[in-house]
Amino acid sequence: MNTFRLTAAGIFVVCAATVSLMLGGCALRSPQGCTPLPGYGKGVVAGYPQSESHLQPLFGSLPILGEEVWVVARSRSISAPYREEIPGQGSLVVEEEKGRRVPLPLKHTDVKATIQGYIATVKVVQQYENPFDHKIEAIYVFPLPENAAVNEFIMTIGERRIRGIIRDRAEAEQIYKEATQQGYVASLLTEERPNIFTQSVANIEPGKRIDIDIHYFHTLAFDDGWHEFVFPMVVGPRFNPPGNTNEIAALPSDSQPDTHGKAVHYLRPTERSGHDVAVHVDLHAGVAIEELACATHAVEIREHSPTHAVVTLRPEDHIPNKDFVLRYRVAGERLKAGLVTARDERGGFFSLMLYPPADLRHAHRQPLEIVFVLDCSGSMDGKPIEQAKAAIRRGLELLQPGDSFQLINFSMSAGQLGRRPLEATPQNIERARRFLATLNAEGGTMMIEGIKAALDFPHDPERLRFVCFLTDGYIGNEAEILAAVQQRLGPARIFSFGVGASPNRHLMDSMARLGRGAVAYLGAEDEGAAVMSAFFERIAYPALTDISLDWSGLRVSEVFPARTPDLFVGRAVTLTGRFEGNLPDRLTITGQVGGRRVDVPVQIEQSERSARSIASVWARTKIATLTDEMLKGEESLGNSIRQLALDYSLTSPYTAFVAVDSAASTPGESKTVNQGVPVPQSVNFDRTVSNSE
Amino acid sequence: MIGFRALIAGALLVAIGASAQEPAFRAVDLFVDSGSQPLAAYQLSFHSTGASVKIVGIEGGEHSAFSDPPYYDPQAMQSNHAIIAAFSTATADQLPRGRIRVATVHLRISSDRTPEYQLNVQAAATPQAERISVVTEAKERTGL
Repeated sequence: MNTFRLTAAGIFVVCAATVSLMLGGCALRSPQGCTPLPGYGKGVVAGYPQSESHLQPLFGSLPILGEEVWVVARSRSISAPYREEIPGQGSLVVEEEKGRRVPLPLKHTDVKATIQGYIATVKVVQQYENPFDHKIEAIYVFPLPENAAVNEFIMTIGERRIRGIIRDRAEAEQIYKEATQQGYVASLLTEERPNIFTQSVANIEPGKRIDIDIHYFHTLAFDDGWHEFVFPMVVGPRFNPPGNTNEIAALPSDSQPDTHGKAVHYLRPTERSGHDVAVHVDLHAGVAIEELACATHAVEIREHSPTHAVVTLRPEDHIPNKDFVLRYRVAGERLKAGLVTARDERGGFFSLMLYPPADLRHAHRQPLEIVFVLDCSGSMDGKPIEQAKAAIRRGLELLQPGDSFQLINFSMSAGQLGRRPLEATPQNIERARRFLATLNAEGGTMMIEGIKAALDFPHDPERLRFVCFLTDGYIGNEAEILAAVQQRLGPARIFSFGVGASPNRHLMDSMARLGRGAVAYLGAEDEGAAVMSAFFERIAYPALTDISLDWSGLRVSEVFPARTPDLFVGRAVTLTGRFEGNLPDRLTITGQVGGRRVDVPVQIEQSERSARSIASVWARTKIATLTDEMLKGEESLGNSIRQLALDYSLTSPYTAFVAVDSAASTPGESKTVNQGVPVPQSVNFDRTVSNSE
Repeated sequence: MIGFRALIAGALLVAIGASAQEPAFRAVDLFVDSGSQPLAAYQLSFHSTGASVKIVGIEGGEHSAFSDPPYYDPQAMQSNHAIIAAFSTATADQLPRGRIRVATVHLRISSDRTPEYQLNVQAAATPQAERISVVTEAKERTGL
């Protein structure tokens, strides 16, 4: 028994202690002994006490493989106003039948999220209705957060609710196929990418409605004092290079059902789906919420107490064509780390978020070798490429004497400014500006060419190489790209710069994580220059490195990432693992700052939390780690991922949820209807979808 | 000769394919009879013998206190053994008594043999957390 237990007391939902962790004090240990480190003190805001001269450049210890991704900037776009010409808006319909227009089957998506501390529990209900006069099978390809641990799936038919079963993916697909052919209502949830899922619902009778409930957990990202909750709403159109066998095609909504692989069916600019979305976020921060903002959508915010707020999407902004991004900042220096634990029959699980020290701004950076890589494919046409160019121009301005740079562009092939990186002289920078001005967006996205051009040249050991990819990431061969990053990375760090209203966050985050670097997101209305400035700001300071934890006798195991990432200015790190034994009163975090050892005692405060959430987050993180390992060619790890996903009831590339209502079957075949979706805001349909046919 | 053997092999494959039976889908209702006691919580163990059976869904029960589908143990489920549990925080007067359907298990049966179903109670309790004796029954729905 894993997830529940019946006791004589009659209450058998597994509860686990939730622990929040407050720093009780800290010490900076010099070679001679310990001195206080005010930046970590409870309620204390102060800088490091040592002088600049004691700090060394610390770029050699940027994040490594398997680490938590580092986010340096996020979309701060202002919500776009309602406009009839935006695909997907309004309530018109697209599916033609017998001369009449009928709506697509997905009517509504209802999102209810509860955030406790930095862990979100999200329930998504998709409401399907059959407007046709015959049975249908509805297929909908949709996004979820990359780190979502999807562990619950329920199909509702009228008043009846049927819990789906996690199965080996091939087995689930076979069961679904057989049930569909025999006329039973059935549903299947498969994971195409960590952030792309396909929902299939078969044998929906005319006029009938079927709801699909999907539950997941995930940890929130942290950026410069802000936590961020993201609910992605649409999958961007992917470019699939020739020969890609695992594609997610981008097809017009009126194209024939896809028979080879997965496809997203996009509405034409003149089409409307009638599908809308409601979002409700119940935020329990645990400490006082100082600021709360949603820059992507119009929302209503109700503050119930200093630590509790409820955020609701306003009805006028209910079209799912861009990511919903909610950010909140909690009371400044009081919370420096957060530990959440839970126990069940399998043992203890924990999630630990380490927040960066208040001030690491005491050292100059070492010379940089910056390689700007600009995606000039068709999907970047218009605002995205202009934003990306603005970001590069700012990057060029921020180069300092002693730095060097290169500028690479790619679409179907790659080009570059110089044969080798150029010294950051005024003349070369001006030359780069002129080159940049000539670049336009058109053609496919052969990102592999950009990867090769950016990573396949000799490294200058005197400089820290950062490769900045500026792209929307709309490709279908992510695995090939990520494998290439691993193979060719060398000493470089990758800064992936996500552009657009719904960038491919899985690709961008994974590139940054595998590339030991950072990621930033630039919304449709954001200033590219500001985000590039934030990136340079981050890499201009040292970090708390070589971090280790003294668990005070607590037995911990299977902690991911295996090596604790460095703590940079503005960057938090989340660890998740298993433990045995009693929780101590405090932990000690030890690290290096400028060659000095820092000991940070951390006081623990316990509270209740569901074991399902923490165990699911742990298992999902382990799956992500194993998936990264597979990029090195460790194919046998697929079985480990499959077993882990089955044990913890999680979707994965190797598992899927299936539900069948065997109580009744109906005659006749289902006609497959692919749920058309709008292209993301600011994406040009003609340059992305049509070209992908 | 080789062609003749291939022909025979092909014919055998056709025969095997023709005899392969299409899997059947069946619903099995799980009943709990708590007599005069209010049922606030249960944990049941369900499995089948005599045929190749896969569980393809677990449905909630007929009473509002147990209408949500129960959770299952994912490790037991890998061997198509359903250990399910549910509870209700309703007061005693809002809880079911007597015989009720607490859940329905949806099955895929891939052999032509008739499966036998086994349902065992692992625990049942009242709102006061007192264990109670209950009678259970697994009954395949007919007349679909």
